[in-house]
Amino acid sequence: MAHDPKFIRNFSIVAHIDHGKSTLADQLLLQSGAISQREFREQLLDDMDLERERGITIKARAVSIHYTLDGQTFELNLIDTPGHVDFHYEVSRSLAACEGAILLVDATQGVQAQTVANAYLAIAGDLALVPALNKIDMQAARPEEIKEEIFNTLGLDPDEILAVSGKTGAGVPELFRALIDRIPPPSGDVQAPLRALIFDSKYDDYQGVVVYVRVVDGTIRVGQKIRLMAMEREYEVIGLGQFRPREVPVQELGVGQVGFVVANIKQLSDVRVGDTITDAHTPAASALPGYQEPRQVVYCGLFPATHNQFEDLRTALQKLALNDSSFTFEPETSDALGFGFRCGFLGMLHMEIVQQRLERESDLSLVQTAPNVTYEIITRKGETLHVSNPTRIPDAGEIEEFREPYARVNFLVPSDNIGAIMALCEERRGDYIKTDYITPTRVIVTYELPLAEMIYDLYDKLKSATRGFGTMDYELLGYRPNNLVRLDVLVAGDRVDALSIVVHRDFAERRGRKLVKKLKEEIDRHQFEVAIQAAIGSKVIARETISALRKNVTAKCYGGDITRKRKLLEKQKEGKKRMKQVGNVEISQEAFLSVLEAGEA
Amino acid sequence: MTVVLAPIDRSCPADPPWIRPRAAYIHIPFCAHKCGYCDFASLAGADHLANRYLDALAAELELALDGPRPVASLFIGGGTPTRLNADQLSRLLATIARWFPLLDDGEWTVEANPGTLDPDKVDALASGGVNRISLGAQSFQPSSLRALERNHDPDDVSRAVALIAPRFDRWSLDLIFGAPGSTLDQWRDDLDRALALGPSHLSCYGLVFEKGTSLWKRRLDGLVRPVDEEVEHAMYAETIDRLSAAGLLQYEISNFARPGHESRHNLVYWANDAYYGFGLGAARYVAGVRSVNTRDLPAYLRRIESGQDATGPVERLDPEARARETAVLMLRRTAIGIDREDFRLRTGFDLDALCGPSLRRSCSRGWLEDDGRRVRLTRSGLFLADTVMSDLL
Ligand SMILES: Nc1nc2c(ncn2[C@@H]2O[C@H](COP(=O)(O)OP(=O)(O)O)[C@@H](O)[C@H]2O)c(=O)[nH]1
Ligand code: SF4
Ligand SMILES: [Mg+2]
Repeated sequence: MAHDPKFIRNFSIVAHIDHGKSTLADQLLLQSGAISQREFREQLLDDMDLERERGITIKARAVSIHYTLDGQTFELNLIDTPGHVDFHYEVSRSLAACEGAILLVDATQGVQAQTVANAYLAIAGDLALVPALNKIDMQAARPEEIKEEIFNTLGLDPDEILAVSGKTGAGVPELFRALIDRIPPPSGDVQAPLRALIFDSKYDDYQGVVVYVRVVDGTIRVGQKIRLMAMEREYEVIGLGQFRPREVPVQELGVGQVGFVVANIKQLSDVRVGDTITDAHTPAASALPGYQEPRQVVYCGLFPATHNQFEDLRTALQKLALNDSSFTFEPETSDALGFGFRCGFLGMLHMEIVQQRLERESDLSLVQTAPNVTYEIITRKGETLHVSNPTRIPDAGEIEEFREPYARVNFLVPSDNIGAIMALCEERRGDYIKTDYITPTRVIVTYELPLAEMIYDLYDKLKSATRGFGTMDYELLGYRPNNLVRLDVLVAGDRVDALSIVVHRDFAERRGRKLVKKLKEEIDRHQFEVAIQAAIGSKVIARETISALRKNVTAKCYGGDITRKRKLLEKQKEGKKRMKQVGNVEISQEAFLSVLEAGEA
Repeated sequence: MTVVLAPIDRSCPADPPWIRPRAAYIHIPFCAHKCGYCDFASLAGADHLANRYLDALAAELELALDGPRPVASLFIGGGTPTRLNADQLSRLLATIARWFPLLDDGEWTVEANPGTLDPDKVDALASGGVNRISLGAQSFQPSSLRALERNHDPDDVSRAVALIAPRFDRWSLDLIFGAPGSTLDQWRDDLDRALALGPSHLSCYGLVFEKGTSLWKRRLDGLVRPVDEEVEHAMYAETIDRLSAAGLLQYEISNFARPGHESRHNLVYWANDAYYGFGLGAARYVAGVRSVNTRDLPAYLRRIESGQDATGPVERLDPEARARETAVLMLRRTAIGIDREDFRLRTGFDLDALCGPSLRRSCSRGWLEDDGRRVRLTRSGLFLADTVMSDLL
């Protein structure tokens, strides 16, 4: 088919989570004839198990839709984006491949924190926004009010806001027309040397690395010798295709088109998302503006529960990295936990997903340490250190200034909940910035918070403080000095490096007490007494003792008891599997994570 | 675990004892009253069903066996078998003796409870072929008997012993330590009073709050508190010391006997050998398959009376799981433990290849001793036997 860029539109759908992005994407496919009614099942584009369970689109995907309007066939490329804050980075790189975006707002829920955040990303990327209310089939839909909210928060003209139902398909023809009318066609140069933006990649067992591209200038063809500009590597294109939504091979992709490239690339690390593909013989003079590398904000140690599985864990991490270039891992040695990896994630949800995928896909039992942020430390000698492992924090005497990352957090909440949100932030050392009313009943409360105070359960706390109505979004601000200390934990007299945390001096005593108490509950009794202490430097600030296990024996075991008693013993054994032996003491995964709960105010 | 049909015994007399049973357990569920700690298949107030039950039992035997099976041990447990009257007992014993002729030197035990025996019943037992009695004394402390919700008083025990001792060489007492509110001194007194009666065998159990029992519920509601673990530890230690000083040597975690008076029937369980089981809730282990009868009396009667079997869940372990289970059971035998040669013969597995690292771990902690031929629990290992055993699975 002709690739006249005039008849191509590239767009994303941005929305707060659960506002119906995936459902609408399916509806677009259905109404364009790309899938049958039978295939129109919910969340067609989310095909990873985990995504289905969580209802979150984790990996961006691109689909080409052919739609005929007034006798003219258009190629509409829909680039799906994740909605969760952890995946901002993936949202922005998907947006970079588009000229427009549907801003989808649930007509029953209204504007939410990520609606605002994602809309700003799109505006910052110079995208044409096509705002649309979704779920208008629902009784509870309040279209007029929500239009007002959209106007108040984003300044979009209420008359331009469409109303659709991803579920019933109502309003979708109008949406197609608006997409074609309002989103500009791609503006690349057909004659110029090839420049194609890599906006995603994935690893496939059969084809190696599959690269998702958006052609900006020129044409990419099967058989062509191409060069990845930043990586300075050359390959031959052995396959091109588009998702419609099934893979359809094509011979070439021209200006504005979106599709995938297979070029015998062996490793995901050979490809950098944001890089430019050009022709190896007649290369373009300059690359396209790329992306920022994703920033890891949360770190944790991952250790195999069984000593000899370090290599298996490495293999599993490498395999996962093939499909997720946004988490990092490097080997780390812990006195307590042995050999493992320190891993960096885009956020808490990202961390959880990676850990679950690791366990699911590799059959490894893992021990995870409490997540933490990266600290910036200026030493007395004048060096600047970035430390993402509390164990590696130098002793207090060597530290000139101890800095921690801050984030600006916007909470979008019912105005009745302002007090609760403020209390939540105050006890987390937050600095109040401002409150903006978007309607008389809904506000955006802005705080600056230490990132460390956010990573564990701020989101859950927000949900419970607002009965589910509150949403949040954050952006990182950089490092600020604070009176921080490293709090160590000693179990049976030995410091357990993996339990060290960084806390504000003013909160240290309270946290220390809570922590040892929590550990007392989580660590099983041993055949000897076990002391648990929290200490700053050599000063012990809290202590608990776990009494010795004196008797653990099943009194009766006759014919009728054998099966049941065996099962009880098996359960005891099972519980030990996720334990780590530290000195003479066995510490469970739960204990390592209890460090976090003790952080709760 | 795979689910298979309940076995009908077609084993051949030459099969080894872990395949073909040389032991049979028969269950009599009737009791005068339900004790607070009891989670056995027992019920009070159902005595009117006794004759029907004995008929069903006979029918169940008929259904499962195609002919008499000579055995080395028989055990009639409950419930309270001696809740049956003398005639019923005689009838029961006759039925059993027909299906399970006792081999020379065979052991035939019946469980009894204080307050349920009389000279006629004792006579019926002795003349019916029974040669061992296990009496559920549990405690000599009125306060503990109350806490355990037993319905007899301490003197009933000596009265029962006076009936049993003249007729039976081998008789045993069951005792429970750690009843809520009990003290170490009271337990010492229990041991003394038990020893004074001259049993050749004693079973001493630490109280377990079994799920669903009256005591368990009362603990949940905060009405009773288990004794302190330290006290329980001392009680168990005291038990081992006192009884061995009195010549009753420990041969299993909770069992003590004058040499030669060990319960042969129970040793079958701890060797992981096969056994038959008949009656309400009875468990059996035949040809590698474990199965349990329903614990619901009306269901049991209905099913047997309509010619069906009364089997509930069935379990067949794979060879490795069976070997591990064998190791765990054998370790309960505190005197002999696991004999490597015997273990290989019975399971086909080399003990060290199967669980070498965990055995070494427990040895290094002083919980197991290993003389190269046998592995057994040490004194300190006795107190933490579950820790040692779970590691073997
Ligand atoms: N009634 C109604 N429900 C919808 C509509 N669109 C989506 N939903 C439901 O809203 C939930 C979230 O939709 P989903 O497409 O997964 O949202 P996403 O997280 O933005 O991808 C699902 O339960 C959908 O079935 C709609 O137009 N009408
Ligand atoms: S006498 Fe024995 S079987 Fe009967 S209720 Fe009491 S403990 Fe249970
Ligand atoms: Mg979705």
